[in-house]
Amino acid sequence: MPKHDTPLLDELESGPWPSFVTDIKRQAETKPECWDILGQLELSFKERITHWKHGGIVGVFGYGGGIVGRYSDVPKQFPGVAHFHTVRLNQPSSKFYSSAKLRDICNLWEKYGSGMTNMHGSTGDLVLLGTTTPNLEPLFYELTHDLKQDLGGSGSNLRTPACCLGKARCEWSCYDTQALCHHLTMHYQDEIHRPAFPYKFKFKMSGCPNDCVAAIARSDFAVIGTWRDDIRIDQAAVKGYINGDFPATGGAHAGKDWGAFNINKEVIQLCPTGCMSMAGDELKIDNAECTRCMHCINAMPRALRPGVDQGASILVGAKAPILDGAQFATLTIPFLEVNQENDFEEVIEQIEKIWDWWMEVGKNRERVGETIQRVGLPTFLSVMEVDIVPQHVKEPRSNPYVFWQSEEVEGGFDRDVREFRKRHAQ
Amino acid sequence: MALSVDELKAAIMDKAMTAKKPQLYIKDFYACDPDTKPRAIKNVANDLVKEGKMTFWSSGSTTMYAAVGRAKDEETRDAAEDSK
Repeated sequence: MPKHDTPLLDELESGPWPSFVTDIKRQAETKPECWDILGQLELSFKERITHWKHGGIVGVFGYGGGIVGRYSDVPKQFPGVAHFHTVRLNQPSSKFYSSAKLRDICNLWEKYGSGMTNMHGSTGDLVLLGTTTPNLEPLFYELTHDLKQDLGGSGSNLRTPACCLGKARCEWSCYDTQALCHHLTMHYQDEIHRPAFPYKFKFKMSGCPNDCVAAIARSDFAVIGTWRDDIRIDQAAVKGYINGDFPATGGAHAGKDWGAFNINKEVIQLCPTGCMSMAGDELKIDNAECTRCMHCINAMPRALRPGVDQGASILVGAKAPILDGAQFATLTIPFLEVNQENDFEEVIEQIEKIWDWWMEVGKNRERVGETIQRVGLPTFLSVMEVDIVPQHVKEPRSNPYVFWQSEEVEGGFDRDVREFRKRHAQ
Repeated sequence: MALSVDELKAAIMDKAMTAKKPQLYIKDFYACDPDTKPRAIKNVANDLVKEGKMTFWSSGSTTMYAAVGRAKDEETRDAAEDSK
């Protein structure tokens, strides 16, 4: 029996699509506090204002992240959601878990929370929605001791690292994304669990430039697999595609008749740098011009594969649109060894260079990408000890002023100009 | 010369107790000792949380530090309003 009338929310059940309202009503049959979620949301729809307060002193002992305080600003009207905290669990690398593990997590959440989940949050965590402050410590104890699962990151912490399926499922992965994700998660436990930075910081790892975890768009530090030699070509398989022996794009989009495969139209002319051509019946690639868009490899996976000298590109500074709009990450290091045998020390060295600089220069609530925008890319590249190349220049200069660094000027900015001019032509 | 850990803890607590706002960003504590690296200051501030002298206040996207007792949690605030 509904606790509140919800005519506006009920409208959301009338369409042909699945409705979260129906789901919450079903959950409310066993968890009555869920009626108050619907009641409060109905009120928000009517008044066109949120009734959630967020933030507070809430968490488990020793941790400064993983629990997000959520409170109702109308607790007397909706006591079931007076506290309704979110819990973030650190997902396993590539989100591989058994159904038994998921069942255990759901059972634990039925015991200590609302039973509602958000699988997965955009950082990748398993997100458990709605519990009370007294339930937090017992939940955390059972989570860590019985389920051997830890909380993820929130607030100004390192957020839970996330990676694609990597070498576990994907032949294009240029490094072991799961190994790097797991290593960084363990190496930076302190940064995940305790606030360290001016604002959030995210790592994401994709095995190839297809970038299945959207590292280039979502992470402050993106590690995207790449290669620095030539794309491997199986010319017999190229002929096979041309002759229609193999379906293009691995058989994806096969529900419609797209006509015979046309390598010129579907691959060569779509290459963004025009670095592909046919010489007779052989496919040629000018690899120096390849920007790793992956289109040709995706279209003809039997014929083309990433090169064998593999590693990763490091891109820095992506973020979602809160301030200044969404921003993609900037390619900072085109190629880096990703070496498990030395505990990924090359990757860690780059991370710590960024952190040491950003913690000092970044303003409160400023993502590293915004700091780079504010101080300028040349300053950031000098911090990263990267030489500036023409590809770093977005567009020709329109500002008539020339800015020099002190070290670029003979004698620096502190020189005695009069003394200098005595010795140099004016 | 950088402060010792104990001196830095005292400086951070002093700042946390006397600042106008009860909650402070980690960067606000950097001024406690300009000769100490930000990561070292963060570690000392986190030690103070473990010792129960400071607490975290988090909005979910940002986390701040507060001396225990200076920042009110929602339950205490609601209870205070109820008792009025």
